[in-house]
Amino acid sequence: MDVLGNVLYGFQVALQPLNLMYCFMGTLIGTLVGVLPGLGPAAAIALLLPSTFHASPVSATIMLAGIYYGAMYGGSTTSVLVNIPGEAASVVTCLDGHQMALKGRAGPALGIAAFGSFIAGTFGVIALTITGPILSGVALKFGPPEYFSMMIVGITVLTYLSSGSMVKSLMMATVGLILGGVGMDAISGKYRFTYSMQILADGVGLVPLVMGLFGISEVLENLETEIKREIVSAKFRNLFPNLQDWKDSTGPILRGTFLGFFLGLVPGGGAIIAAFVSYAIEKKVAKNPEEFGRGAIQGVAGPEAANNSAASGNFIPLLTLGIPCNAVMAILLGALMIHGLQPGPLLMTKAPDLFWGAIVSMYLGNVMLLVLNLPLIGLWVKVLKVPYYLLYPLILLFCLIGAYSIGNNAGDVLLMLVFGVVGYLMKKFQYDGAPLVLAAVLGPMLEEAFRQSLMLSKGNFKIFVSRPLSLCFLITACVLLIIPIVTQRKKLSTLKE
Amino acid sequence: MGKADRISSIFWLVFAVIVSVESRRLGLGTLHRPGPGFLFFWAGIFLAIMSLIVLAKAWTTKEPGQSIFGGKNILKIGCVMVSVFLYGLFMEKVGFIPMTLLLFLFLLGVMEKKGWVFSILVSLVVTAAAYTLFEVLLKSQLPKGILASLRF
Repeated sequence: MDVLGNVLYGFQVALQPLNLMYCFMGTLIGTLVGVLPGLGPAAAIALLLPSTFHASPVSATIMLAGIYYGAMYGGSTTSVLVNIPGEAASVVTCLDGHQMALKGRAGPALGIAAFGSFIAGTFGVIALTITGPILSGVALKFGPPEYFSMMIVGITVLTYLSSGSMVKSLMMATVGLILGGVGMDAISGKYRFTYSMQILADGVGLVPLVMGLFGISEVLENLETEIKREIVSAKFRNLFPNLQDWKDSTGPILRGTFLGFFLGLVPGGGAIIAAFVSYAIEKKVAKNPEEFGRGAIQGVAGPEAANNSAASGNFIPLLTLGIPCNAVMAILLGALMIHGLQPGPLLMTKAPDLFWGAIVSMYLGNVMLLVLNLPLIGLWVKVLKVPYYLLYPLILLFCLIGAYSIGNNAGDVLLMLVFGVVGYLMKKFQYDGAPLVLAAVLGPMLEEAFRQSLMLSKGNFKIFVSRPLSLCFLITACVLLIIPIVTQRKKLSTLKE
Repeated sequence: MGKADRISSIFWLVFAVIVSVESRRLGLGTLHRPGPGFLFFWAGIFLAIMSLIVLAKAWTTKEPGQSIFGGKNILKIGCVMVSVFLYGLFMEKVGFIPMTLLLFLFLLGVMEKKGWVFSILVSLVVTAAAYTLFEVLLKSQLPKGILASLRF
């Protein structure tokens, strides 16, 4: 089947009434999650994962993907109106979006964010349609050494890009790798690190881990600081940007779209870094860079396009290689596995309905988001007014129910709460949770590829460097590890001078 | 972050040692056929080295010791965590409905001091809505506990 035929087949799947409903639910919940500060897409997907157990894998994937890209859209609303990013990728939008709102231009700011997101999201999905099959073909030639090296690159990129110290991020990736090894060893059948605890026999569950690290810990941190929300009271009659706004925003949207997509492809890269890089580029190429930070529409259009485009790009490594490039994709990988599917190069041939149905649902989802975001902004503003003393018990309750529903086991709830405390302490001690989650998901696959490679080569480590693709991946990982050391030394020497 | 890094790096160092010792006990195998503990033994060693780097950096930094838990609401965080831990411990025995009612009454009435009428009303509405959504509509099997005999 050619690409067009596949896309038509995807439409056939995605347009089924049930799948359309799941797509709508996903985008609606995603927008809500994006609007609400203190609940990111990672925690929301983990939270709603048990509710998809009764659905088919296609419908479940359509809904979970919708939550992710929906959150990217919704995040801009809080950034503009409250100066609090609904999720991390919208941090940059606060800088100029909120300034625009203070000047009485909240409508155009939200409008350009929604249109920019729509254009970028749609481009991302088209690019995913074209590149997906090509990458799947390449990935079929991968052996265990290539998979091992690629996963090493993925973890290294995420540690390189994560906030704070790289040494600490590497430590968290190692802890994640160890957590991924808990439970029964698939090759020898031995139980590892379970200490006769029944709850650990099947390994550390992804849902309790993510909900604890991202959901519960976020609530605890917000309780400590107490979020104060002053919503800009603006009339949202004129959401459509004027001609000058469009003139100013076209370039940033196009640049943000391309940049975001390519950064989304890189394992470890994603929406957050894409938004920041886009903002930096726009500031550099702008005729009046001094306007940035004071309500420049380019500072909203570029990053919003970039983060949505990156969200689409993120699906490529997951669907074609089976490699999640960030924490959200790691949860999606776990979700697909729970539904009995193994993402990777064979997904397209083994489950074409899921692959093409999910991709096409993103086209439809983007249209739904545009329809949802613009007329419903008034409703989202009302949601924002829900006080935190009501919001945090609800988030806690959803986490408790979500963790219990995975296996109808209170042990998972307790495990989630333990990870909640660990996540809170990690925030306090400045350790990033994202590399931990990614390594915990990749851990079992990485170990299997490592052991298979050594068995293939009869214990010779040369197998990782004698194969060109594997060597390229390892060189990339080494470069990423060396860059911070070199730049830090340079900084130190300039300081001494 | 000097003090915080000292504490955290020592914790991870101890954790790394435990992992390496346990991995060795599991069996390292050979290079031809790596055992179940092989990768984790080296992961433990790597973690220990990284912890020592953080520890050494923290020891040489002369930053003034900042309080790690600077927020005013640390007691509130403790109480909230204890309440949800108790929820997790007793949800199967007592049941979803009574435990959710109690949790919301505690969080709204005791922690947030929102008045008992408001707290009772919100607790009832939230519990009923959550039960309808998850048990009735999404078919989750929430624990019935002491209300199991009522068969609703």
